[in-house]
Amino acid sequence: MSALDVSSHKAQATIGRRGIILRVAFVILAVGLAVVAWPVVHAMPQFGSHPLPYGDRVNAIGPAERHITNMVSAINFDIRGIDTLGEEFMLLCAVTGGTVLLRGGRGEDRAASPGHVKGRANHRPPDSLRLLCRVLAPLTMLFGLYLAINAMLTPGGGFQGGVVIASALLLIYLAEGYAGWRDALGSEFFDAIEGLGAALYALCGFVSMGLGLPYLAAFLPFGTLKNTFSGGSMLIVNLGVTLAVAGGFATLLIEFMEETRTLKPGDDPDE
Amino acid sequence: MSDVFSLLPWIGAVWLFGIGLYGIVSSRHFVHLTGCLAAIQSSSYLVLLGIGYRYGAVAPIFYDKRPGTQAVDPVVQALVLTDVVIGATVSALLLALVLQLHKRNGIVDPQAMRPMGKSAVPTAGGGRQPNGHTA
Repeated sequence: MSALDVSSHKAQATIGRRGIILRVAFVILAVGLAVVAWPVVHAMPQFGSHPLPYGDRVNAIGPAERHITNMVSAINFDIRGIDTLGEEFMLLCAVTGGTVLLRGGRGEDRAASPGHVKGRANHRPPDSLRLLCRVLAPLTMLFGLYLAINAMLTPGGGFQGGVVIASALLLIYLAEGYAGWRDALGSEFFDAIEGLGAALYALCGFVSMGLGLPYLAAFLPFGTLKNTFSGGSMLIVNLGVTLAVAGGFATLLIEFMEETRTLKPGDDPDE
Repeated sequence: MSDVFSLLPWIGAVWLFGIGLYGIVSSRHFVHLTGCLAAIQSSSYLVLLGIGYRYGAVAPIFYDKRPGTQAVDPVVQALVLTDVVIGATVSALLLALVLQLHKRNGIVDPQAMRPMGKSAVPTAGGGRQPNGHTA
């Protein structure tokens, strides 16, 4: 991949010319899009008052046959469970790709001053921010756990809870700074959490097969409606998703934060 | 009048797609470009949630509602959840690529990239690229 030296006048002229060509192409494309979209928009079903056969079926099946009240979880973890497994592995692949792209030979040194940009003052976070984040981080973590645990009852679930848990980790970074943050969190731990979560999901499907059922079919009793631990094997799947999402996003946070660390003489800047 | 309101979600989705595309076309920074891609993706959220909507229906959560109450379509909501998760991870992957590009070439401007397969655009440095390889 090569690039222009943007400082020269000639390069600036080339960039300007390209900009005009691209904008003209966009206008043509936009007119084309509008022309194509107009009949499609008119052919769309009447907003808000057309039959929803699949939705109605799911809304009937969820409480009656699966004993859970959150229909989105019923779809994600049971009705289209194998799709969610694909989504899970897509997440795993994206996180692995990001980690491979970012991780270099810079090791795990915690003494280096990260977040420091050359020529910019590196202030210690103010005490008010540290206090606020120290208060908010555990609460956010608790909220994430609440979302994940009550996946079968109320809005929430493994994906939402996992992301909220990972954002609590970012609040710890804001409060403690890089060194304290890295001391508190080991990236190996989150790598393991992510892999274990995805594996738990996949293995849950194999347990069904071992019992003579189709892959990912529910094999535990569904429990009683409106009980936190209703849903049977959906709970295991949900736990797997929570671990994988929290671990995946935490890994991404750690890797991106590593990027801001100042390089030491021995480090390879390309990695 | 109700016809216009019926069309609004789809027009909104097309509009979001359009402005996202314009942002990508006119972008001068790869991070901005990633944000524009997120705007394009939100048009798909709008289409999906618009399809599943039903007037006077409740959310598909029956914890405080009697099962059997008319509810909106949970199938598309689950799809939007997938969409959001994939959007977040793809953004992360793209931002990682941007970081690598910045480290290798020191450039984050899509307009400054040379089209693949084209002969080199003359640069001020006599054909020398910032990473030290000859063009």
